[in-house]
Amino acid sequence: MDLHLTSEQALLRDSAAKFAAAAGAKVARASRGRGLAPARLREAGALGWLGMLVPAAADGAGLGLTELALVLEQAGRTLVCEPIGLAAIAAAALAQGHAPHPMLPRLMRGDALVVPALQETAHDLPMLLTRADGDDRAPRLTGRKLSVCADGADGFLVSAESRDGTALYYVARGASGVSLATTPSVDGRGLATLTLDGAPADLVPARQSSRGAVAALTDLALIALSAELLGVMEGAQEMTFAYLRLRKQFGKPIGSFQALQHKAVDIYIKTETTRSLIYQVAAANDPYRIDPALAVAVKAKASENALAVTQACIQLHGAIGFTDEHDVGLYLKRAMLLSSLCGNAAAQRRRYAELADSGA
Amino acid sequence: MFRHDSPDEAAFRSEVRAWVEANLPATLRGRTNRPPPAELMPWYHALSRKGWIAPHWPKEYGGMGATLNQQIIMTEELARAGAPHLPAQGLHHIGPILIEFGTAAQKARHLPPIIDGSVIWAQGYSEPGAGSDLASVATRATLDGDKFVVSGQKIWTTWGHHSQWMFALVRTDPQAQPRHAGISFLLVDLASPGIRVRPIRTIADDDEFSEVFFDDVAVPAENLVGKLNDGWRIANALLGHERLGTSNPQFALIALERIKTIARTTGIMADPAFRDRLAAASIDVTTLAALFNHAVELTNRARSPGPEASIIKIYGSELLQSLNDLLLEAAGSDAALAPPLMTAHGRVEVSAPFLQVRRATIYGGSSEIQRNIVARRVLNLPQ
Repeated sequence: MDLHLTSEQALLRDSAAKFAAAAGAKVARASRGRGLAPARLREAGALGWLGMLVPAAADGAGLGLTELALVLEQAGRTLVCEPIGLAAIAAAALAQGHAPHPMLPRLMRGDALVVPALQETAHDLPMLLTRADGDDRAPRLTGRKLSVCADGADGFLVSAESRDGTALYYVARGASGVSLATTPSVDGRGLATLTLDGAPADLVPARQSSRGAVAALTDLALIALSAELLGVMEGAQEMTFAYLRLRKQFGKPIGSFQALQHKAVDIYIKTETTRSLIYQVAAANDPYRIDPALAVAVKAKASENALAVTQACIQLHGAIGFTDEHDVGLYLKRAMLLSSLCGNAAAQRRRYAELADSGA
Repeated sequence: MFRHDSPDEAAFRSEVRAWVEANLPATLRGRTNRPPPAELMPWYHALSRKGWIAPHWPKEYGGMGATLNQQIIMTEELARAGAPHLPAQGLHHIGPILIEFGTAAQKARHLPPIIDGSVIWAQGYSEPGAGSDLASVATRATLDGDKFVVSGQKIWTTWGHHSQWMFALVRTDPQAQPRHAGISFLLVDLASPGIRVRPIRTIADDDEFSEVFFDDVAVPAENLVGKLNDGWRIANALLGHERLGTSNPQFALIALERIKTIARTTGIMADPAFRDRLAAASIDVTTLAALFNHAVELTNRARSPGPEASIIKIYGSELLQSLNDLLLEAAGSDAALAPPLMTAHGRVEVSAPFLQVRRATIYGGSSEIQRNIVARRVLNLPQ
């Protein structure tokens, strides 16, 4: 179903679609193992997207989750490799305090990249062993973070336990005590383990209205990843429906066969329900204060549906679908990556049950 | 969850809530099936006297002229109080059809009895040979002077044996191609000579449906709605609206509460595998609420969601079934008991709603027919 958008939102979506059209499977294929393209990140910065959630007082656009989702959906559709979503939410996090972090202007321009590093185990996102020692003016972090999208990153937003409870810190990549071990991901990017051994850090203050800087960033990450997953589903689905109209067997287009039609409709239902969920949650929530149960529900649904949809798209393509010569597999791989980050569908369901128990 | 009441809407909601609390008899609350007319109709009449029986009808015909949001608020508050389903064919189907397509005389004669509850209507669409393939209806209506002579059979007629009138799709041109071009829309007084009605008992042990036999039944020609052979268009004109109403997530939320109550009672709530499925089910209900709210937003802005609204029917009805699967699982060895289970939180129906919800993916166009519609009209897949 169509989204109800303001004319500004529709313009933003169109400009994101234009930006994304220059990406696509060919670019995604060519950039496998090469990391991100700094020029494209700067282009996203010039279009104002990296600062879109940043309040106007900190020179951002002060936009909301709907706008974020519109841009990331387009990025997912054409397999854009640059982590626009992670950069935009990191910028939002760094803009929270009375005085924004000095990295913020460079980050908003796309001259530098900062990404979240929140996860410590493969399954249990809320677990936190990283600790912050020393006082707030010169904290030092010790711990280990997993599954960090560290390609091209100049710094990280790290959650840690301090004397005053859970807090968010900025750590520069080049700081002492920081080491990264990167493993390639299926889609040709890299996921790193970030090890901190007394690394110097800056405390990132929370916005007053939020439930804490770490909670705000976590919930933002779930929405951002989900919006990109929605785009991945759409890209795979468009490609597949076109194939169903084109490919002939038994003398007619295979899309005329009821078994395949019903499978196609199931794909469409998964994509559409994910879209409604994401945009209803986006419209009803402030970027710095997202209902945690809704953020978790969105990521659970988007992760589960994106894997199911991209797998079904391969099935509908037949043998060509499981070759590396066809692009549909790129969508499955991107879905594998994004659905696994910050807690997969099962991890989100577990969190959802915990939140329900605590009455949230 | 997603929609927030405006101050006026919030005031309307509390008014509805207070009135329903004060006026809905306890014996009618939490019933999973539609109670028989003798029990149900006094409640219908009470809503009618209050002026709330037809929120979606224009005021000039005795309705409330309510906004879509007010209608949703009423549905939500009635569901919250556990109010029973009312006979819907008059209020939701033939009423709106006559308002749009009926003659002045048809409106004057038939609309007031729907509002005051003195006439219950039945829908005569399906036939033994025309279920999913509705365009093949064969019940014959032959024009003979100032009357039609009707012969044939209708089936799956909701509340047929409790109804006084039926609106029916009848074949008036057997040669027409395509076949739906030979169908007309007729109003039939079920007290006419030559009509026989037989209730059909369902697997849920209710007799919600019946079959209706017509043997040379005389129907006045003035009971034709719209033009001769234009019945297909009339029958389809209001389908989208109906789909939206029946997909209100409130019913799924009630099913979810039933699961939680039973799961706490049987102790399965502590089981991690069950908790995972319950979380998945809750997230699915949230998703239905989002889908529903999205469709409501579009309808409110006069951008009817169109054929893609079929996916709400598919998703909503299949979700209700999977929720009832989970209810059965939560009940464990009590799942097959016929009466409601007694819990610390009151009586909870288990087997009855599970058996009743089989029909949700079949009536109103089966899930498979809905998928055909989406494949052709939304995805534009080839024939």
